[in-house]
Amino acid sequence: MRNTYLQFLQLVTGIFIAVLLGIHMVIMHLDAILGFFGVDVTEATSWESMIERAGQGVWAGLYIALLAFVLYHALNGLRGIILELTPSATTERIVTWVIIAFGIIAFIGGTYVPLALLAGQELS
Amino acid sequence: MKQIQPRQNYLGPGGWVWAGKYKLERYLYLLHRITGLGILLFLLIHLVMTTIFRIQGQDVWEATIALLHNPWFKIGEYLVAAAFVYHALNGLRLILQELGFAMGRPTPPIYPYKDSLRKKRPWTIALVAVIVILALVFFYDFIAGGW
Amino acid sequence: MNEDETKQITFKVQRYNSEQDSAPYFQEFIVPASQGTTVLEGLIYIKENLDSTLAFRTSCRMGICGSCGMLINNYPHLACHTQIEEFHSDTLTVKSLPNLPIIKDLVPGLNPLFENHKSVKPYILRCDEEEMEKPTAEFAQTPQQLQTFLQFTYCIKCGICVAACPTAASDKLFLGPQALAQCYRYCADNRDEGEQERFPVVDTDHGIWHCHLAGACSEACPKGLDPALAIQLLKRRLVSQAIGLRKKQEPAPVVSPPTETKPKVPFPEFTVKQA
Repeated sequence: MRNTYLQFLQLVTGIFIAVLLGIHMVIMHLDAILGFFGVDVTEATSWESMIERAGQGVWAGLYIALLAFVLYHALNGLRGIILELTPSATTERIVTWVIIAFGIIAFIGGTYVPLALLAGQELS
Repeated sequence: MKQIQPRQNYLGPGGWVWAGKYKLERYLYLLHRITGLGILLFLLIHLVMTTIFRIQGQDVWEATIALLHNPWFKIGEYLVAAAFVYHALNGLRLILQELGFAMGRPTPPIYPYKDSLRKKRPWTIALVAVIVILALVFFYDFIAGGW
Repeated sequence: MNEDETKQITFKVQRYNSEQDSAPYFQEFIVPASQGTTVLEGLIYIKENLDSTLAFRTSCRMGICGSCGMLINNYPHLACHTQIEEFHSDTLTVKSLPNLPIIKDLVPGLNPLFENHKSVKPYILRCDEEEMEKPTAEFAQTPQQLQTFLQFTYCIKCGICVAACPTAASDKLFLGPQALAQCYRYCADNRDEGEQERFPVVDTDHGIWHCHLAGACSEACPKGLDPALAIQLLKRRLVSQAIGLRKKQEPAPVVSPPTETKPKVPFPEFTVKQA
């Protein structure tokens, strides 16, 4: 049942990503439309706006959760596509381990910065 | 008598793209794959930007953001947003249909055959219309927000 | 075309003889066709009049045996089931089914299909082995229970769904829509208790989860089987088992012997009129 469980997680993380990444996309891209609704999002990619968000635990938590879900969903999908090209069994195992290693490294790298900013580390 | 070696006749990954005149869902699957890989590629660049470039302080960050005002990058950003809209909504359709919820029941086949995907095709087309509308909404915002 | 009009149709047929050729090539034939002439009739005309070395499979010529699956104008059809007229073209390209090996000319090797089919154990499995091997009576099944899987029993094992599937095009170890749909047909059959034996066969790295609902199999199936529906329903069973929501279902019981006998119709004493 292992593959079924992994694929079920793919579907579940898909739903979570649709929500969290939707929020991220709306904040980042839909400035003008949000302006219609009276929500004032000052230039989301400016330094001030970014630092303000980085100091809030909600946003840091959202980004870390989003990163975890996206890494799982994307790398699982990528593994599926590579396996469909039917390499040999050893290549399949190597591919799986490389993907897992890459995912862990990317997750660690990607959570370090929000946590550091949240803790208010003095930036050079 | 000599044993004949049958010749392999796989279409290969080219068969994902074109194998004949098939209907909508096969191309929705192909586009789902392409958008997924595209978003993954963008994600890698994005992770580098928001970690390595962000932690180095305001100057590096603002230099990176200034780089992004280049029209080519803006088009790329829009494509990623549109790809996400497509992948998310088509993904929701796939979750429903792959778990057998929106596929209808088995019915005895009576000619002309209507398979379950064809029966639900009006819903699929409505979903594609929603995707197009949302993509246009994002496009409007890209224009209105100024390049 | 109307009934008495005969057109000359060009058949571009894929030829391949592994003993002589290094790669498949096309050979053209001119075939007279009128309204109602099927592609199979065109191929038989070629074999009888133009080139008797052309190899293809055919048997029932009425779309029930599954022998004549071919790629006609880049779409998989049963040759006996496909009229030349429906292409509205004077040229037809006939190739062997893709994703299955070519033995000769238009003959695909169906062994991969059969091996995958056998691996999902396509027969009724019961816990009671004695009953399974030496049945004492029939299993009870209502017409409603039959309807839940009847559509998937009509498979003629022609291989057209495998030819249409984009995953089968690149994944050589993929089970294929035919095997997966037949796995569901047996899991959904309430006479069967072998679900747990079949799940590990489809829940592999190259099993059911490489199906991505392209729907080409259902679209191309010549018997209206809808293998895509069967596969998604099987996915639902697998997921509900994986997350623990599966309800244990009672298999069909053996019909008990009748407790009361109906009165026998009196047999006549003689069957031949006596003088």
